[in-house]
Amino acid sequence: MSYIEIKDLSFSYTKKRQILKNIGINIEKGEWIAILGHNGSGKSTLAKTIVGLLEPGAGSITVDGIKLDQDTLQSVRRKIGIVFQNPDNQFVGVTVRDDIAFGMENLCVPKAEMLERIEYFATKVGMEKFLDKEPASLSGGQKQRVAIAGILAMQTEIMIFDEATSMLDPYARGDLMEHIKKLHNEGLTIIMITHEIEEALLADRLVIMKDGAIFADGPKEELLKKPDLFQGSALELPFSLRLANQLTGAGFEEVRGYLWESAFRK
Amino acid sequence: MRNIVIGQYLPGSGFFYKMDPRTKIMGVIIMMVAIFLLETIVQLAIALAIGIVLMILGRLSIIRIARGMRPLFVLLIFTFFFQILFNREGELYLQESMTVSLSSIGGIILLTIIWRLLARFKRFRFFLLLAYLVGIFFAFSLLTYGYTFTTFTFSIYERGVEMSVFVVIRLLVIITLSTILTLTTKPTDLTQGLESLLRPLKIIGIRSEDFALIISISLRYIPTILDEANKIMAAQASRGADFQQGKLKDKIRQIISLLVPMFIIAFKRSEDLADAMETRNFVPGMKRTRIHELAFNMTDAFASLFILCSLAASIVLRVL
Repeated sequence: MSYIEIKDLSFSYTKKRQILKNIGINIEKGEWIAILGHNGSGKSTLAKTIVGLLEPGAGSITVDGIKLDQDTLQSVRRKIGIVFQNPDNQFVGVTVRDDIAFGMENLCVPKAEMLERIEYFATKVGMEKFLDKEPASLSGGQKQRVAIAGILAMQTEIMIFDEATSMLDPYARGDLMEHIKKLHNEGLTIIMITHEIEEALLADRLVIMKDGAIFADGPKEELLKKPDLFQGSALELPFSLRLANQLTGAGFEEVRGYLWESAFRK
Repeated sequence: MRNIVIGQYLPGSGFFYKMDPRTKIMGVIIMMVAIFLLETIVQLAIALAIGIVLMILGRLSIIRIARGMRPLFVLLIFTFFFQILFNREGELYLQESMTVSLSSIGGIILLTIIWRLLARFKRFRFFLLLAYLVGIFFAFSLLTYGYTFTTFTFSIYERGVEMSVFVVIRLLVIITLSTILTLTTKPTDLTQGLESLLRPLKIIGIRSEDFALIISISLRYIPTILDEANKIMAAQASRGADFQQGKLKDKIRQIISLLVPMFIIAFKRSEDLADAMETRNFVPGMKRTRIHELAFNMTDAFASLFILCSLAASIVLRVL
């Protein structure tokens, strides 16, 4: 049995239009998976369904052996944390310290332990010097890092990033991705929802969604061999793949497919 | 819309800052009762003196507190004149016959125009108002020329002067008390203190925790929403909207055009925030631990003792 099992999941707001159609994904512990799709492909709805914010019309979600329903909602949420798109709309506390504490307060963590964890996880995301700062004086990237610290402090094992970088500037985006890489290396399971192909390529595995259904699912190396998949789902090809295609067209026969770093080492 | 300060908390280190917000809130309420029990100007003056000594001991800036009271000066002046004009007991101090004539009305209109013209000197607002009121008095008593509509007598009695001074000092002491509270307590601490004090309301089904959370989230989002308002105003100004000039009707239309997007954004924000709170295991009404726990300390013990002694003293003075 996989760590996270999503089986035949369907969701719709109205009877007419299905937002999610028979989604089935299995995710292993410690995996880094990117769910890629155009606007309106249902990827954010999927994220909200996994954390129990939306109730699926049909199908099931099982996390670490616990089937998600109204009774198990809180115990599943202890395992999964989610970082949303808008840095401002998820900052609950009046200061950084209060915001990191918010989740732990809900889990009834004793005060002494809370203070310890705040110190530890704020340092982890490089926000230890900002503990008494108010959100108005933080940048978008810093607020997202505070959100990550708040979730880590709840000792979650899975973290979903729902287009968490889309409102950040390129520098903050790169910085946040570095932090995500570090967390992945420490064993956290990561589900990244995005429409940025370059960002998605940092994951091990890609799931491409189109019109509420899964269009493709597999290791990124496999999927990159089939450029039609990306074009067929209204996604841009990665820059490196476009470059390689042009080089091939210009007569450089030895360049074929996505240019992995290893291609340059020869 | 810029430079809005929420509350008037001023960071500092005196003993007022070390007190539990609950002690301060209860203290202000009890002290107010004690002040209302006092009956003579001398007692009140002693209370005011003690208050000033406490502020000095607590290293509070008296100038800063006086500045915080400025908006209330109008209220103080109004109360003062109300008492002087309408209290007609005791010995007669002053009697002046006043004339409502063409010249006195003209004089008052002239005074009003001068007063309004000088109104831009905000620094002297208080003195200008005083000068204006004195001017009106002299206009009625001295300008008797021209057609006379009616006459009346302006009289000041002993009790009127006494009461006006008494009421003004009492108001000053009460305002000072509440200013000390808001000046030395962070809005978040104030909220938490109120929450803790209102907890017994649970019996009748009101959960003070919910209110406290709502207030603290509102405080947290005020700067964000103001920022948003500035952005929308800038966006509308860049497309030709004018928030500064125009008739009242135009201004109202501008404000509506600002409010509609503001509300839509605020609703979107609250929805997102609810999602974020829920996924972080927040369940309304469930037991939570707190990172900020309120705790009484020695300062609170001394303060409580002082407050209760003051109340006892006032009661004794009242009964004797």
